[in-house]
Amino acid sequence: MGSSYKVLIIDDTEEVLSALCKYFKQKGYEVLSASNGLDGLKMIESDKDDLDIIITDLVLPNISGVAVISIVKKKYPLLPVIAITGWGEHPEALAKEAKADLVMEKPFKLPELEKAARDLLVK
Amino acid sequence: MGPPIVGVSENIQKIKELVEHVAHTGFNIVIFGESGVGKEVIAQNLYQRSPRAGKPFVKINCAALPEGLLESELFGYERGAFTGAEQKRRGKFQLAHGGVLLLDEIGDMSLVLQAKLLHVLQSGEFAPLGSEKDLKTDTWVIAATNHDLKQDISDGKFREDLYYRLNIIKIYIAPLRERPEDILPLIDYYLDEYENQLGGSNIERPGGAVIEKLRRYHWPGNVRELQNVLKRMLVLGDCEKIADELFDSSGIKRTDQAPTSVVGSPGTFQSLLDLDGKELIDNNSFSLKAAKKKAVDKVEKEIISYVLEKTDWNRSKASKILKVSYKTLLNKIAELNITPASGNSDLP
Repeated sequence: MGSSYKVLIIDDTEEVLSALCKYFKQKGYEVLSASNGLDGLKMIESDKDDLDIIITDLVLPNISGVAVISIVKKKYPLLPVIAITGWGEHPEALAKEAKADLVMEKPFKLPELEKAARDLLVK
Repeated sequence: MGPPIVGVSENIQKIKELVEHVAHTGFNIVIFGESGVGKEVIAQNLYQRSPRAGKPFVKINCAALPEGLLESELFGYERGAFTGAEQKRRGKFQLAHGGVLLLDEIGDMSLVLQAKLLHVLQSGEFAPLGSEKDLKTDTWVIAATNHDLKQDISDGKFREDLYYRLNIIKIYIAPLRERPEDILPLIDYYLDEYENQLGGSNIERPGGAVIEKLRRYHWPGNVRELQNVLKRMLVLGDCEKIADELFDSSGIKRTDQAPTSVVGSPGTFQSLLDLDGKELIDNNSFSLKAAKKKAVDKVEKEIISYVLEKTDWNRSKASKILKVSYKTLLNKIAELNITPASGNSDLP
């Protein structure tokens, strides 16, 4: 792999967010992160040109992951988005309606998520 | 134009930013916040910044109507749908078509109606009562509530699927006591506003000392209470007295003073001892038991009076709040000789 991919990760659980960031950095990605939907959207607006993939939790403060996905898919339909959902939360149907490329339910293994991301990137 | 979003606190700044970002999206929104914080103001601001501005803005309070009536208000009915339905009537979803429907107090909606609402949100269709035909609706639903809907879900009072469907955008308005820096800008805004309405230049505006008192008050009724107080001041004058009453009327202490317990002050302690000027020693009428009864009575009296004041002496409401039977409350009122404060003296 030559130049590294740029991933934006949005999750409001600090431990999850930092674990995901750390893992993707280790795997050679350039990582941006946000802890709520509004901050995430602002990063997408300012970084849209070299952002390669977005990984977002669905339940977030202010702007939910569902809304982030809808907005991204409307504006940048080719930018891949993976939705991750928490335990006991069931907005997966909404994520699919919003056209997320993939919905992954927690708990998942980090390598699984990274592999899924890579599959979407090389597509 | 509706009122602007007034405030300098971080909470309000964030809300303004959020409104700018989401108003054009048409996503379902839930606005959370205590009574009187200004949930409708936010809804109107969203509407005015959206492509739907100029289309209908329809509001309905889900807590104010009994279930059956709320259903017919929301979805409308055909002639003959039920006894008394002599005319066909359009529901709020039809009236709000192309515009915004604000569902206030959504947390008070029954589970049956929640299911129907979910169906409308999923399919964009609804059927008026007694109608065989589904109608299409393009309505932007904004819901508002002072409930913790997550808690309501755990308690089985709110549908989880509806929660996620509505809660695409969440806006939380903090109570005024948590953002005291907004009190001054709000006072300035509403004083200007009311002076214009009252149209007089000879109106007495509250002075610095009064404003300072208002700034220190903790505003349990939030912005709505502040509005009422300012209106009273401009109309009645005597700002000092109105400001002082805020702190006196409900036994509420200024936020810069340590709260004191009902029975904690020295005067109260003396009255509990109630020695009638006699010495403590060799006093037959004094006993721990008697003092305890007096203390309990005193606390009960204060609490019941407080709740009755707050409910405008609606005893049925007060008994529910106090979790005692209506009869017990009436007995307590008689036994403890609780009477309405001067403002309610026309009540029995």
